[in-house]
Amino acid sequence: MITFREDNHIGYVEFDDPDAKVNVLGANALARLTQIVSDLGTISNLKAVVFQSRKPGVFIAGADIREIQSINELEDARTKVRVGQDLFDAIEDLKIPTVAFIDGVALGGGCELALACLYRVATFNDKVKIGLPEVNLGVMPGFGGTYRLPRIIGLTESLKLILAGKPVDGRKALRIGLVDKLIPSAGAEAHLLEYIHRIVEKNVKKKRYRPPRSKGMIGVLERFRPLHGLIFKQSRQNVMALTKGRYPAPLKALETIQQNFYVKRPRALELEREAFAELAITDISKNLIHVFFLMEKYKKLKLPGGEDLSADIRHMSVLGAGVMGGGIAQLLASRGIWVRLKDINFEALAQGLRAAVKIFSEAVKKRRITKAEAERRMGQITPTLDYSGFGHTDMVIEAVVENMDIKKSVFQELDGVVGPHTILATNTSALSVTEMASVVKDPSRVVGFHFFNPVHRMPLVEIITTDRTSAATTATALGLAKRLGKTPVVVKDSSGFLVNRILLVYMAEAGRILEETGDPEHIDQVITDFGMPMGPFLLSDEVGLDVGLKVMRILQDSFGDRYRPVKIFDKLLEHKKLGKKTGTGFYRHNRRARSIDPVVIGMLDRSQVHSVADPVIQKRLIYLMINEAARCLEEGVVDEPHAVDVGMIFGTGFPPFRGGLLYYADKIGIGEVVDELIRFQDQYHSDRFAPCEYLKRLKEQQSTFYSTGGVS
Amino acid sequence: MSRIAVIDGIRTPFVKYQTDFRSLSAQELGRIACRELIERTGLDPALLDEVIIGCVAQPAEAANLARVVALLAGVPERVPAFTVHRNCASGIEAAVQAVLKIRQDEGALYLTGGTESMSNIPLYYSAKTQQIFAELARAKTLPARLRAFAKFRMGELLKPTVGLMQGLTDPVCGLNMGQTAEVLAKEFGITRQEQDDFALQSHQRAVAARDRLREEIVPVIPGPKYGKAVENDNGPREQQTIEALAKLRPVFDRHAGSVTAGNASQITDGACSLLIAKEEKARELGYVPLGYIREFAFAGVEPHRMGIGPAHAIPQVLRKAGMNMSDVQAFEINEAFAVQVLACLRLLASDAFAKRFGYEGFTGEISPDKINVNGGAIALGHPVGTTGARLILTMLKHMQREGLSTGLVSLCIGGGQGAAVILERE
Repeated sequence: MITFREDNHIGYVEFDDPDAKVNVLGANALARLTQIVSDLGTISNLKAVVFQSRKPGVFIAGADIREIQSINELEDARTKVRVGQDLFDAIEDLKIPTVAFIDGVALGGGCELALACLYRVATFNDKVKIGLPEVNLGVMPGFGGTYRLPRIIGLTESLKLILAGKPVDGRKALRIGLVDKLIPSAGAEAHLLEYIHRIVEKNVKKKRYRPPRSKGMIGVLERFRPLHGLIFKQSRQNVMALTKGRYPAPLKALETIQQNFYVKRPRALELEREAFAELAITDISKNLIHVFFLMEKYKKLKLPGGEDLSADIRHMSVLGAGVMGGGIAQLLASRGIWVRLKDINFEALAQGLRAAVKIFSEAVKKRRITKAEAERRMGQITPTLDYSGFGHTDMVIEAVVENMDIKKSVFQELDGVVGPHTILATNTSALSVTEMASVVKDPSRVVGFHFFNPVHRMPLVEIITTDRTSAATTATALGLAKRLGKTPVVVKDSSGFLVNRILLVYMAEAGRILEETGDPEHIDQVITDFGMPMGPFLLSDEVGLDVGLKVMRILQDSFGDRYRPVKIFDKLLEHKKLGKKTGTGFYRHNRRARSIDPVVIGMLDRSQVHSVADPVIQKRLIYLMINEAARCLEEGVVDEPHAVDVGMIFGTGFPPFRGGLLYYADKIGIGEVVDELIRFQDQYHSDRFAPCEYLKRLKEQQSTFYSTGGVS
Repeated sequence: MSRIAVIDGIRTPFVKYQTDFRSLSAQELGRIACRELIERTGLDPALLDEVIIGCVAQPAEAANLARVVALLAGVPERVPAFTVHRNCASGIEAAVQAVLKIRQDEGALYLTGGTESMSNIPLYYSAKTQQIFAELARAKTLPARLRAFAKFRMGELLKPTVGLMQGLTDPVCGLNMGQTAEVLAKEFGITRQEQDDFALQSHQRAVAARDRLREEIVPVIPGPKYGKAVENDNGPREQQTIEALAKLRPVFDRHAGSVTAGNASQITDGACSLLIAKEEKARELGYVPLGYIREFAFAGVEPHRMGIGPAHAIPQVLRKAGMNMSDVQAFEINEAFAVQVLACLRLLASDAFAKRFGYEGFTGEISPDKINVNGGAIALGHPVGTTGARLILTMLKHMQREGLSTGLVSLCIGGGQGAAVILERE
């Protein structure tokens, strides 16, 4: 709902969408705002207009993403964008001073509305985030953002803001000239009035477009038009380095600014409109929007039912220091949780503390936190050799060696020392949580809490529930994941859980293709071309072959031949070529360069080598994962295809521009996947390709993963 | 009246200055001791009424160090904290403040302790040099800056005052602590041999007590490098011989003195924490207290004879508690200097001394096997602000092990004071 009121000759246009948590600029809002703005001209004696939100912590969160998602035609895109562009032109053309008062998020269309105002005033509120994140959804600013922002804050800063899609806080916004003033959020009204009075009464004239003069080299580049090419060139390189050219939106936005920075408004907006329309109808944009909604849903994942069963976590204990335990301890401490870190000797404890302090130091170097803050957080981790301090801990995460007997004895010991409400979590990547839970008195408090390595970077945690895990335990685990800034998926306890189970069928197959082609680098290339951040062999080198192989064997025991590791894996293990940690794996890792280790190639049976076509490599690897994911849905390991896609994107870096593994499967068609799998089954005489029942049923019903919602 | 319970305590290893704890500030050492005690006792720190920490060389960057320690150790912001300073008895003063507050019913649960980083006591410049620095900071133009800069004298810049030495010097009598020890050596005619024998015994006892002392120590892995863990006090020397002690030259009176680095306490870093509560409160929280603080006393003596402080504090505390020497089963008298402990023992055994100060009935001889049986500051070190708390902890643990019911700890205090505390167990 948008309302207008006048008070003492100052007009207030106020946003307060009663049906939503945040204000968005949907079609209805735009129409209503257009009406209000055109009426403004008829009010006499109005000295200034303020655009503000009545919702705390938010100005306007952006356009209605569902509306962008529904655009399928160029003309439709043009029309929709035109409405916003015309509206903001009308605001820009108002004869009286206009002020956007920003006390919260002002993103996308919200930011563009503020740009159309003559003045922008923000607050010291931590919630203030201003920016144009459209490229994250595969589109670009369409309501004049590419026209106005460069003219207000200069080319360099605006390109940074638009191409990376990362919003800025209030202080940064002030520094780069995106806002004119910061005022306290408390008592903002009085501060705002004072500011407006100064504008109105002192008759301060502000030039709308005069970017603040940057100092140094950038200032020189900005001031001389013939040098602008250098700015664009550098920006383009940055984008390419970041996206490897797989994401067209930032490139398109760059091209657009490169043209419309030098032309008059109507032409500039026409260029923007055209570029936006071209992007809006792409599959990539649809996929990215799909991923955005997935993320929104899973970031806030809660158990069904309104009641909040999650317990407050203040103190946690981590069992097993080392790099993983240290990483977990660091993450917990960074979120204000007190951590007791236990291991069996001081060397391991020291290693864990070093792992933690290293992450904190990097954050200090990047100025994400202050040195004092890092030291204080580090002090929240206390090392111990015994179980002292465990009696009052709210939750334990064990990250000891992956061995069931050891895990069980650890759980048994824990059972004797922790309090009656302590949640016992395991960070195991493949072992049975149910079996671990079997040795404690109250298995309802046992849950899997599986981080991905490196803990502080990987955004996913798998929360593994057994049949006995209580709802309260799961709810607390979900609450913890959220507090740690991680995206959780809830997975039923079964071998390999979700992500490793799907990923390792692909790793095992990659091994087979390697034995056929003898060219690991090429297989990695095919997979990075598909969009994965790295290929299977480089991934193995990063993680450590011994780690992967251990999990693969567990999966082989549970599911049979499709997880059988090829001989070359064992040979590498024998020769201690485990990857980065030993210096060589499939690749030789030097400080700067890496190259395939010829010794590995020498280990292969050269007589068998033949070439496999690139599309076949890709399909064997990806379709096997789709098949395995379908099995997970069939067995109820996860409850919907969304969980698979969240897991694969945030746990393995499956390319977001493809929308997720199963979203991608739906796009290429279940029929195609099933038919190809059957073809492979015949060609390779191997049942590992046999499509599972779930997949076959989808094909029969001419259905898709997402249309069935995963209910088997 | 309710008894005052010491629920539990913990300390860091005592580490010779400029060695393993060089990188740890007093507040960080205090944080480690306090946090570990919170962890081990499972205490909900929100229940605390106040945090009281003693420290002598309070760091400039941690004004009201107790507050800094409390917040770093996870004590909630709404629990207040203050720092106390009674020189070498600062750690005892912190505990005594808790006792007084509990007796007054101000509160019932206090986290107390002491911390000291003698490695991190800064160097100072003379007032004149400081003034030049101020001028330099004020100078705006290059010539003005150069003018100010030219005023520096190299000799001054390279010879700052050592804060550590300054802190150990009595500004009233003008003697440093070692010199006051020499005063006692001469007054009481205590020989170099006697002092060295006492020092050797301290080392031997501390070495023999290693495993026992480990009960009161939390091993520390010092940041920011987090290399090797420090598990033990590094002052006690296994190989200490009387010959080696005899070879050392007197430090404070080069020609006629007898006090050496070997028969004086070591300069040391370390922290110690004690959780002190009204007895009922301790029980209510489900704790079995380590012991109880029965009584305390402070006495004033001449600054240049500060080492005899315990000889006055001990009879005074006994009188206050209505006890006599024979009731006490174990003593800890801090070994600031061997000569100073020996002087105290002579005074306490002297009827003339008792008579002169009206201590009759409250003095007596102390058998050597009842005093400092786990070694003392000559071997373990003397982080000045911490030692008082350490004596209470070490004594209570000793009483627990030996099944003793009454112990007394005492120390001499720079500036001319003595402190004594009577501890009990059931």
